[in-house]
Amino acid sequence: MTTTQSALDYAEQAPIKWRQYAVTIGRIGLGVLLLVAWKIGADVAGPVFAADPIKVAQRIVEDAASGALLRHVYVTLRLATIGFAIGCVFGVALPFLLRLLPRLTNAVEPYIMASVGVPKYALVPLFILWSGIDDAPKLWLVGLLVFYPVFIAVFAGIRNVDRRLINMARVVGASEAAISREVVWNSLLPFFFASLKIALPRAVSAAIIGEFLVGNEGLGYLIEYSRQNFDTTGVFAGVVVATALVLVINAVLVRLDRRLSAWRPTDRDMQL
Amino acid sequence: MAAEPLLEVRDLSKRFAARAGRDAPAWVIQDLSFSVHDGEFLTIIGPSGSGKTTLLNMIAQIDTASGGAVRFQSQSAPIGDPKALNPGLSCKIGYVTQEDNLLPWRTMLQNVLFPLRVQGRLNDKTRAHAETLIRAVGLQGFEQHYPHELSGGMRKRAALIRTLVYDPPVILMDEPFGALDAQTRTQLQEDLLRLWDLGRKTIIFVTHDIAEAVALGDRTLVLSRAPAQIAGEHVITIPRPRDIRGIMTHPDFSPLYQRIRAQVQ
Repeated sequence: MTTTQSALDYAEQAPIKWRQYAVTIGRIGLGVLLLVAWKIGADVAGPVFAADPIKVAQRIVEDAASGALLRHVYVTLRLATIGFAIGCVFGVALPFLLRLLPRLTNAVEPYIMASVGVPKYALVPLFILWSGIDDAPKLWLVGLLVFYPVFIAVFAGIRNVDRRLINMARVVGASEAAISREVVWNSLLPFFFASLKIALPRAVSAAIIGEFLVGNEGLGYLIEYSRQNFDTTGVFAGVVVATALVLVINAVLVRLDRRLSAWRPTDRDMQL
Repeated sequence: MAAEPLLEVRDLSKRFAARAGRDAPAWVIQDLSFSVHDGEFLTIIGPSGSGKTTLLNMIAQIDTASGGAVRFQSQSAPIGDPKALNPGLSCKIGYVTQEDNLLPWRTMLQNVLFPLRVQGRLNDKTRAHAETLIRAVGLQGFEQHYPHELSGGMRKRAALIRTLVYDPPVILMDEPFGALDAQTRTQLQEDLLRLWDLGRKTIIFVTHDIAEAVALGDRTLVLSRAPAQIAGEHVITIPRPRDIRGIMTHPDFSPLYQRIRAQVQ
């Protein structure tokens, strides 16, 4: 009886599997190619300007073995996570609040949009002035840089919710809170996840930049400290670890998105 | 008329707000009056764009009227202020809309149970009732399917029983079977009549299909082109229970059909 199930059974499995292999092989090949290019580039540029990838790998292994790297990663990750959480909470809560107050929304919208244009990194001296040189100014920076993409996406998502679904929910007796939770929240999830894909790497970048400027721990500090000591290999090692960090976070995010949007139909262009 | 009508529409008028770059808005509905009695199956027929959906939206309090009154159980709907509306009148009026409006991220079963869940009435008894309804319209086996995995007819049936499941005393239906093939449509009409025979709710059923209006209703109202007014009223004398497939051969059918057709422009 289950029509869709049998339709899936008919789908041609073999060519899809072959295509997946082709993609995987292509991916690995491209990675090797990039590494070779890096190696050649490093040899041409010399050790002051570009680090040898093999030495970078050795450095990462050494630092990891000593436990120092883990400590730096932990500090940066902690900063990025807390700042990210703060930015996310405000970025999601504010649009929901504004939904209930349409007149206020219209009044403040131009100011919010104008504040998007303020260069956040330029505000760091102010944050230091206001809140000292501990975690606080860095959290301000991370929080703000996460807040904007999340806020803008969730705001757009809320405006995009199908009015007919909201009317349906109202007619069957759903409270405004239930409508927010069920209809609005689920409708804007794709927008929210799209914004997270921008916000999460930003959170890590902002944490690292914050550490360039203040503090004596974290990946940003590691990179900046290495630069001051003309340790190009150290700089490259820091960048590689930071990139790996963002990739891992992204992979977790993609997983979560896939789980939460399992209901969505897949287009033929979205399959491999 | 003996008893007080359950629902009364009196001199109802509606026009939508003006938009820049368009002419002043025309009246969609003007001075429309009719009433509906408890347990009645009223069908309303009218050409496309005659304000049928707008009328139902105002009865369901999704939209406000520009003038006149809609009274349900002697209570008037607020006029002019959308914030004062009470959509569905505290679950007393169910509304099966033209689009199925199923939640795409919920399975068919979750969609059907949605009203019970938000009303806090989800328990073993109501759940069993939902399962009975799912079987009654032939959706068993598709409980875990998402709306996009169901056919158009199945989605319509799911939307129909989503309203039946919480048992509102009045149900509005807006061309619920409009986009379906003749076979599925007949099937659903039979389902609807069978369910109606079990519960005898008050139904206001909007359609543009004359045969459907005659086959289902106790009474049929014909709306004129916009601005909508009542162009005719017909009591459907065909006795119940009715056989949908054979109804065209009933001696009363053809004269009714002809008279209504003369009024629908």
